[in-house]
Amino acid sequence: MTADLVPEFFTVSELTKILKDEIENSPNFTSIWVKGEIYNLTYHSSGHIYFTVKDEGALLSAVFFRYANKNMKFKLEEGMSVLLFGGLTVFEKRGSYQMNVHQARPDGAGELQKRIEQLKKRLEDEGIFDPSRKRPLPLLPKRIGVVTSPTGAAIKDIIKVALRRYPNIEIILAPAIVQGDGAAKTIAAAIAELNKPRWNIDVIIAGRGGGSFEDLMPFNEEIVVRAFYNSRVPIISAVGHQIDHPLSDAAADAAAPTPSVAAEIAVPLKSDLIDEIKYHLSRIENSLYQNLSDKKNIYKNLVSRKIFRNPMEIVNRRGMLLDEVENRLTAVMRSSISRKREKLLRIPDIERLEKGILTSKKHQFHMRLQAIEKMSPLNIMKRGYSIAEDSRGAVIKSVENTGTGDKIEIRLQDGRIRSTVESVIKGD
Amino acid sequence: MEKSKKAAPKTSFEDALTELEEIAMRLEDGDLGLDDSIKEFEKGIKLARICHDKLEEAERKIEILQKGDNSSNEVKNRRVAVKSDTGEIEDDEELQGSLI
Repeated sequence: MTADLVPEFFTVSELTKILKDEIENSPNFTSIWVKGEIYNLTYHSSGHIYFTVKDEGALLSAVFFRYANKNMKFKLEEGMSVLLFGGLTVFEKRGSYQMNVHQARPDGAGELQKRIEQLKKRLEDEGIFDPSRKRPLPLLPKRIGVVTSPTGAAIKDIIKVALRRYPNIEIILAPAIVQGDGAAKTIAAAIAELNKPRWNIDVIIAGRGGGSFEDLMPFNEEIVVRAFYNSRVPIISAVGHQIDHPLSDAAADAAAPTPSVAAEIAVPLKSDLIDEIKYHLSRIENSLYQNLSDKKNIYKNLVSRKIFRNPMEIVNRRGMLLDEVENRLTAVMRSSISRKREKLLRIPDIERLEKGILTSKKHQFHMRLQAIEKMSPLNIMKRGYSIAEDSRGAVIKSVENTGTGDKIEIRLQDGRIRSTVESVIKGD
Repeated sequence: MEKSKKAAPKTSFEDALTELEEIAMRLEDGDLGLDDSIKEFEKGIKLARICHDKLEEAERKIEILQKGDNSSNEVKNRRVAVKSDTGEIEDDEELQGSLI
């Protein structure tokens, strides 16, 4: 056997380094939950906690550093069953590995989970999570109310996002303690305060950044859930979480996975709203101008007609017509007048005519009169005849009409003879 | 007594915006006569003005509510400055963590 053949080997350091790199960088070992019982517990004066966690088959060393355990809400005790969250580290010098604990919860967390489930069921039966009572958020909130810690990351994120989206937004922060004992009461009180009309709040964001299961517990408590439910002002639940929704999410009008997202939900992008108004305005303008230009074209077509091109033409034409009518009328009048006048002028002729008629009638009368005169008894008497009349003037035509002694008158052509009848002799 | 501001029309931003959109649609239909078109147009301008005014109503301020000094339950609002890039509150006074 020779010592010539030296096998490939690792130094102890090399091997340990490889193991360390392998273990500390593997997701299988860096963020894991481990369940076990606490054993060999040591609270060190530095604030670090050292212990061993074990079950019936194995042991695991664990260290819980001060920065990680300072917010823990329960005290680790010897023999306690716990759930530990953390990662494995390799301690080279001792050739050992241990768990670096980030978070511990009593194994009874199952109890807590059970309690939340029971509360959820009870409130659900009461109608507190009824989706139909969720209200729409205002499109344009003027003032946002925020319930969270004044020193946490949540308020910063909300302010940053809100101011970016809407530079002249108003924000009122009602401070609350968002984790630990008594936190729930302060959250409920802050929500109630922001609901007072004096603050004029349009929408409330209540929540906190992400944290452990215990950190988020206040938002699972009945008093907080009821405060969300009773909020007169629309409210957004903004609790940072990855897996389980806090009960406040179901009681709120809207829920967001982080405070930043809540601010985006609550606060509109001002530039979007301005664009929308501008868009509608330009539609209104364009369609009015379109309408006007349509009407203008119709008008143009109309006015391009001859009549409208020279409106005076109508007037002139009408004027000419008028003149013509007037002329005709005048002519008619004139002829009528002249005819009337002619008639009038002819009237003296008529007079003359009538005079003529009269003359002829006079002549006829004269002739007639002459004939009558010729026939007069006086004319007969000129020829030697006379007429006897009694005393009453009656002509005596018979001897019977007179008697002896009667006074009679005898008319001759040139006078009368009064006489008395001496005797009456009948027949010749 | 609060001084009573001249009662502004109680139109909400939402209502004004919705009506503005409706007017835009009516005008785009093109069924309106010239008179009605101009009337609608004027109404639209008015609504756009209302919307714009509503957008500027808020006056950019961050306030924090704090308990009064005495033992009463009175709550006061105090205006604080913030860095708008980080959202950090810059305030000289120590902030109370809660209202109770």
